[in-house]
Amino acid sequence: MGSLAYGLLQVPLQVTDTLQKYVDAAHSPGVWTSFTSEIGTTDFRPLWVAEIKLLFDLSYGHLHIAYKAFHIALLVAAFGLFVAALPIETGVDVAASLFALSVLVGSNTFTGLVKEATPVNVYLPIVVLVLLGMQLSRRPHTWWVDAVAMLALIAACLTLESGVLVWVALVAGRIAGGRGVSDRALLAITVVTVVYLAVRLALLPLDTQNTSGYLAERLEPDQIRERFGAGLSRFNVYTVFASISSVLFSQPRDGTLVVMRAWQAGDIPPRMWISIASSLITTTLIGIAAWRLWRAAPVATEPHRDHMRADFIVFAAVLAASAVASFAYAKDVIMSTAGTCYALVAFWAVRDQLIRVRRIGAAVALAALLLAASSLWAARVIGVHHVLRTQAFAFHNDWATVRDHMPSDPVGRRLVTALRADALSRPVVNPWFIPRWADRVFDIDYF
Amino acid sequence: MVRLRTLPAVCAGIPALVAVSFCGAVFGAAVLGFTPAFWQGGPLTLAEAAALRDQGEVARLVEGGDDPNREYELRPGVLAIERATPLEAAVAARRAEIVNLLVHEGATLNERGWRRLHCLAMETGAGDVVRAVDELRPAGAPLLSCPE
Repeated sequence: MGSLAYGLLQVPLQVTDTLQKYVDAAHSPGVWTSFTSEIGTTDFRPLWVAEIKLLFDLSYGHLHIAYKAFHIALLVAAFGLFVAALPIETGVDVAASLFALSVLVGSNTFTGLVKEATPVNVYLPIVVLVLLGMQLSRRPHTWWVDAVAMLALIAACLTLESGVLVWVALVAGRIAGGRGVSDRALLAITVVTVVYLAVRLALLPLDTQNTSGYLAERLEPDQIRERFGAGLSRFNVYTVFASISSVLFSQPRDGTLVVMRAWQAGDIPPRMWISIASSLITTTLIGIAAWRLWRAAPVATEPHRDHMRADFIVFAAVLAASAVASFAYAKDVIMSTAGTCYALVAFWAVRDQLIRVRRIGAAVALAALLLAASSLWAARVIGVHHVLRTQAFAFHNDWATVRDHMPSDPVGRRLVTALRADALSRPVVNPWFIPRWADRVFDIDYF
Repeated sequence: MVRLRTLPAVCAGIPALVAVSFCGAVFGAAVLGFTPAFWQGGPLTLAEAAALRDQGEVARLVEGGDDPNREYELRPGVLAIERATPLEAAVAARRAEIVNLLVHEGATLNERGWRRLHCLAMETGAGDVVRAVDELRPAGAPLLSCPE
């Protein structure tokens, strides 16, 4: 966690899709104005824009520190809530939780949570709020649990459309037997969600088409419309299933089967084998645990079966809902909340295997399997740091060319000039100093 | 039963602990005030930055006072030459965007320098680099053929 925070601090502020956000924050007279300026727009992310403005005002010119500190705080919250969701009581639990943490950080869906900073990462708050919703579901009921659940949903929906996942998590938690949020509150939360969806889908114009992958290709919006036509098509069906598969098997990436493309090019780098093999083993273990959960007899000494069942139900619901939300275009980071829940159920899957070991042969085979999977996930965890290092170099370079796109007004020009000077003054590592093998082992697949 | 669980539990946890140790080492070095080795690069000359597509470093060095028109040393392995001007390094590395950036940052060419660079660009065979260099052609400079 500390190393990720350090890495985030080393990465200059993002330029692409972001420069205007800084300038808008500088021009905005206040947080409320920023909030209301988003109402009626195609993005409709008022809380996100308000956060950008609030941090801008609080920074007193130290924007890098302000935005990075907020990003790190969100990351700490996500890690804290993730660990809090794991019942760590025995050595087996510790081992399973270490495994789950490496799945969380090493997952391809996690990378976007640290890589993208526009300038406040828009997906990380959703992960935090969904994890919070899961916690609330499990708690004993009190009035403030209802209130926090409602606030979490509102905050999430006003940040990003994926905020609806908070509702999904709360409902799934209730179906799984969670009583933290009362039925009355859940009904109110459902009404708010329906109103939000109605406003978002019916009243506001949606700008949904984006570049996306299709099998081994990467298609631009025009190409998608030309090939598949307007409206729902087999492209949308592909995108939904591709999104599910990206969580379970680390392929495709942003809709593109990069492994197929690499195979066609005659060179599949080790990083692809690493990601596919680690996911394949983990998903298999999760599948076995799910089957046992519903079909096999419980272990006599297992006190957490209900907790496990609840996490599996929430994972299935969040995975399905996230995939449906990705119908227009596939992007790994859209699946980041599902990826987080995947890591949670990976904990249960490993734990379940460990507590059911009865024979020496099975123990040795399981040890070999877990050693392989855990080692591969550990490589992916280190890869996240490598991605941050690569990202730092890319953003540093982006600031060099900003001089050609300076805002015309004096306030914006002064701000961007100062941001550029600050970003360029931060030392980054040129890839020339990084061993060539590191890209093949650790890198992610850029488009 | 507990012993049976120990081996697979250790196997599940140890690699993750190794990853945690790596993260701890990076963080520990940072807390102690060192730049962690993982985050260490090395100082680049302006010509090296140009050859290694390091636009950020090119801009930082020039705006920090480095002369974009003089020769700099290149460490072995960056290019096949030991000294070059930033523009020469960018052209030899086939980096049209760096040529444009250097010009933006104040690199200039006289007629003799441009002809030399043009021929170097032709040697690389990169069309975008040749076009970028040709845009810098001083007024009235004749377009002569390059020596084989």
